[in-house]
Formats: sequence, structure tokens, C-alpha cells
Amino acid sequence: MEDVVRQHYTDKEKREIFDHEFLPHINSMYNFGYRLTLDRDDAKDLVQDTYFKAFRFIESFQRGTNAKAWLFRILKNSFINDYRKKIKEPNKVDYQEVESYYNSEDVDRQITPDLRVDALKDMIGDEISNALNALDVDFRTVIILCDLEGFKYEEMAKILDIPIGTVRSRLHRARQLLKEKLSEYAKSMGYKNT
Amino acid sequence: MSEPTNPFTPVTGKKPTCMEMLQFILDGQATPEQKEYFRSHMDHCMPCFKSYHLDMAIKELVQTKCCGGEAPTELVRTIKSQIAQNIS
Repeated sequence: MEDVVRQHYTDKEKREIFDHEFLPHINSMYNFGYRLTLDRDDAKDLVQDTYFKAFRFIESFQRGTNAKAWLFRILKNSFINDYRKKIKEPNKVDYQEVESYYNSEDVDRQITPDLRVDALKDMIGDEISNALNALDVDFRTVIILCDLEGFKYEEMAKILDIPIGTVRSRLHRARQLLKEKLSEYAKSMGYKNT
Repeated sequence: MSEPTNPFTPVTGKKPTCMEMLQFILDGQATPEQKEYFRSHMDHCMPCFKSYHLDMAIKELVQTKCCGGEAPTELVRTIKSQIAQNIS
């Protein structure tokens, strides 16, 4: 654990940090909240709660450091501690399976044979979004953090409180699962297996 | 012609597997040197070539279809006004 060095900010400085370092991330935060809860009202509550917490603990934040990662971490913790408990959704990811899958060295196994790039070109509606939402929350979280928000392994490890190796294996499994979902859509759209 | 030195660090075994290299690229962790090496590697590795194009197409679709747009204006307004009350 890193030691938290408390900063001392005037009200004016707090306002500046909030407006210029925290608020610019609100669109990403709202999308993250929505992808975690899959409910627009819950996402609003989660984001609102995150910003209040960020303001309350603003003196734990060092100006000019990675505000986005800090906010995402608060939101993720609020989701686990408040929201998940409220709806009593347990963590469903089988990590043993993740590790053993990832340790496979056979690259041919990684290719989903019945999904082709041309099938993806026809997925112009909600197929991708629905496929992502259908993944377990821990898997969709890493896809969002990596592919949408561009976080690096180290940042994701800090946001999620997991080792970098777990970030990597979870991302790998998440990509496979997403591909399987998309493959199901492709079949339903009439694409034949190659 | 001898192969250039592989710039990837192996995760599990003694040398980096195709899957490890591909994931490093997909996850946005690769250096320009690693990307260049992988580009040449795909010229003679069909499984990597196919996987790369499919996985990148999925990643691009996620980026265009799942970005969510803007947060609701009333949410931004509520947050701003409550923070303003806390400061004043």
C-alpha cells in the first residue's frame, strides 16, 4: 500500500481541481457506471456518489497526478461496497479457470473459427453493446478499462486492486468470451461456420 | 535471412508465445519496436494474422459502439451545485 500524503488546498484550489481535473472525466465515469450496473438511474447515483466522495477526500489527491484512474477506483469501490451489496450479486468469475485457460500455449485454440471479420461488419446495431453487457461484470470491466479508456496494466491493477498478471489473464478471458457471444450473434444472422 | 531478436518478454515459458505477443498488442501495451516485430511475424504466421485482424475489428467496434456518449446534463448540474454548496 502506498502512503497517502495529505495535501492542503484552499477552497479556490479545491474548486479548480474539481472543475479542471475531475469533471472532465464525467462522460467516461457515467459510461463506466452504466456498464457496471446496466441501469441508467443506478449509474447516475453511482457517479454522483463518486464525485461527492472524490470531493470529500480531495486532500488525498495530489494535484496533477492521474485523476481519471483515481476517480475510476473510487467508482469501482463504491460499486462493490455499496451497489453490489445492495443487490446481493456475488462475484461469479471462476479465477482458477481463467488461469488455466491463459496458461494454454496453443494459439490455434484461441481462434474462434466461426467468427469472421465480415460478420462483424454487419453488426451495426446493439449487438456489440449487448454482447459486452452479457459478460460477467468483472470481465466487462477490464474490456472497458482497456479498450474504451486506454488504461495500462499497471493502472488497471491499481483501480481493481488485483495483480498485473490477473489483469492480463482476465482481459484475455474477457476477449474470448466476447468473441463467443459475437459468434452466437453471427450465427443468428445467418453467417455459416468457416 | 535470420530472424530479428524478439523484443517481447515471455510471460510463462522461456520464449514469448504467439498468444502472449498478440495480447500485448491488443491490450495497447506494446512498444513501437514490439509492434514492428509482430507485423513482420504475421507475414509468416497465419493464425496470428487471422486472430489479429478479428480481435482488432472487435476492439474497434467496442470503441465505436460502447462509448456511451455524454453524461446526462441534469447529473452534471446536480453534482456541480452540490459541490458549490459544500464550498460556500
